Amino acid sequence: MSSTSQKHKDFVAEPMGEKPVMALAGIGEVLGKRLEEKGFDKAYVVLGQFLVLKKDEELFRDWLKDTCGANAKQQGDCYGCLKEWCDAFL
Amino acid sequence: MPFVEDPAHLSIARLKSDLLAHNVALPPAASKKEVYVELHLKNIDQKNAAEFSSDDEEETREAARESSGFEHSRDKDPEVTQMPDPSDLTDEYLREALLKHGVKAGPIVASTRTLYENKLRKLLLHSNGDDELYSDSEEEQEKRDDIESVLEEQKPEEAKKIKGENDKTFSITQMVQEMESRGSLSDCTVKELNSSRVGEHCSRSYRFAMNDLDKSRSTDQSLYHTPKDVHPPRGMKLPQESGKPILKDLFPDTKPTTTGIYVTPRRPIKGAAQRPVQYSYSYPDTLVSPVTLERREVERRLVSIHIQILFFFFVACILFYIYVNVQDSTVLALLDSFSHCFDKEGWAFLQPGTEGTQAVCKQD
Repeated sequence: MSSTSQKHKDFVAEPMGEKPVMALAGIGEVLGKRLEEKGFDKAYVVLGQFLVLKKDEELFRDWLKDTCGANAKQQGDCYGCLKEWCDAFL
Repeated sequence: MPFVEDPAHLSIARLKSDLLAHNVALPPAASKKEVYVELHLKNIDQKNAAEFSSDDEEETREAARESSGFEHSRDKDPEVTQMPDPSDLTDEYLREALLKHGVKAGPIVASTRTLYENKLRKLLLHSNGDDELYSDSEEEQEKRDDIESVLEEQKPEEAKKIKGENDKTFSITQMVQEMESRGSLSDCTVKELNSSRVGEHCSRSYRFAMNDLDKSRSTDQSLYHTPKDVHPPRGMKLPQESGKPILKDLFPDTKPTTTGIYVTPRRPIKGAAQRPVQYSYSYPDTLVSPVTLERREVERRLVSIHIQILFFFFVACILFYIYVNVQDSTVLALLDSFSHCFDKEGWAFLQPGTEGTQAVCKQD
């Protein structure tokens, strides 16, 4: 099992509320900006996309790559973060 | 590529490529076909002005009709191959196409549409490529998977079915060997109930039989793997037909018959049976499964647990006895003296010749 980052732990610890999209694990400033430009300004909007894709890993990764150009590690971090959040709170 | 053609009859991919060829900026990805058609008409129309000008309205109407279904375009456009372009499909058709490939799609909305189109394209490419080149290996893989599922479920009927299929491709010796292993499998189903270890061996032997079969298929060598002690007499014949060099080592004393078949009294030849097999799996010396190891450990602990329980009850009885008698003052005095004695003895044990402490105790 790979260890999770502090960002991941912080995100998964509580309901996301109005957290910005940059609070997601794997999404830094650059990627966050790109997502905001596309309209995904809050973490819950990305969550919405994740859920619309039925939490499918491959589709979500592809979407993330197409939308903000995330690399494989960033895709994985973001997917894992959202998945765990859903397991805990959804 | 036809020289003159209505753009409405072209697929979106064709329209895109045509627009790119004429250095026209493409519209956003989620645009409908009409947009492409219009752009195509506008830009390429300049070159073929006379032919298209009168047909504009009809074409846009046709484009609107075609964007709602893919069969229309498929009939008219000779360029489109058997697979319609996913971009042409409606949401419903796209979902159906994905379902045919075993993908249960979620809602197909604007943000998810391109993802599902790409997925369908990938699936179409894979299905085309695999059909031509890899059909044999896929069948093999299916058979292997079937056989392994048989092992888990222990249903000899499936193995028979698979054996029937394999007859076409494998040689006769391999067929018979399959029967051997299948026979051993059916025995394993009975023996598995008695001991898990035999089942494991049987499953392993069966799996190795399959692996060996695959290898022999490629190298055209026959097998000398025998199923384990399950079928002693049958196992010897086949390997002897083919594995002469190896059996000569094992049985130097036997005389070769005219047919070249070695017939010897059967004894368990674990070395020979396992030799071709050992490269893929090595048994520990004691041949003990992890389950039995655990059981031994637990047993060890169990023995000591019994002792602990007895000791606990013994101590509990003593305490109960003391508690019952505690009302008696004499017993209390007795207890106090006992405690003093213990202290005294403790001190005496630690520092021999301490008479001062004894005096102290006596004073109390």
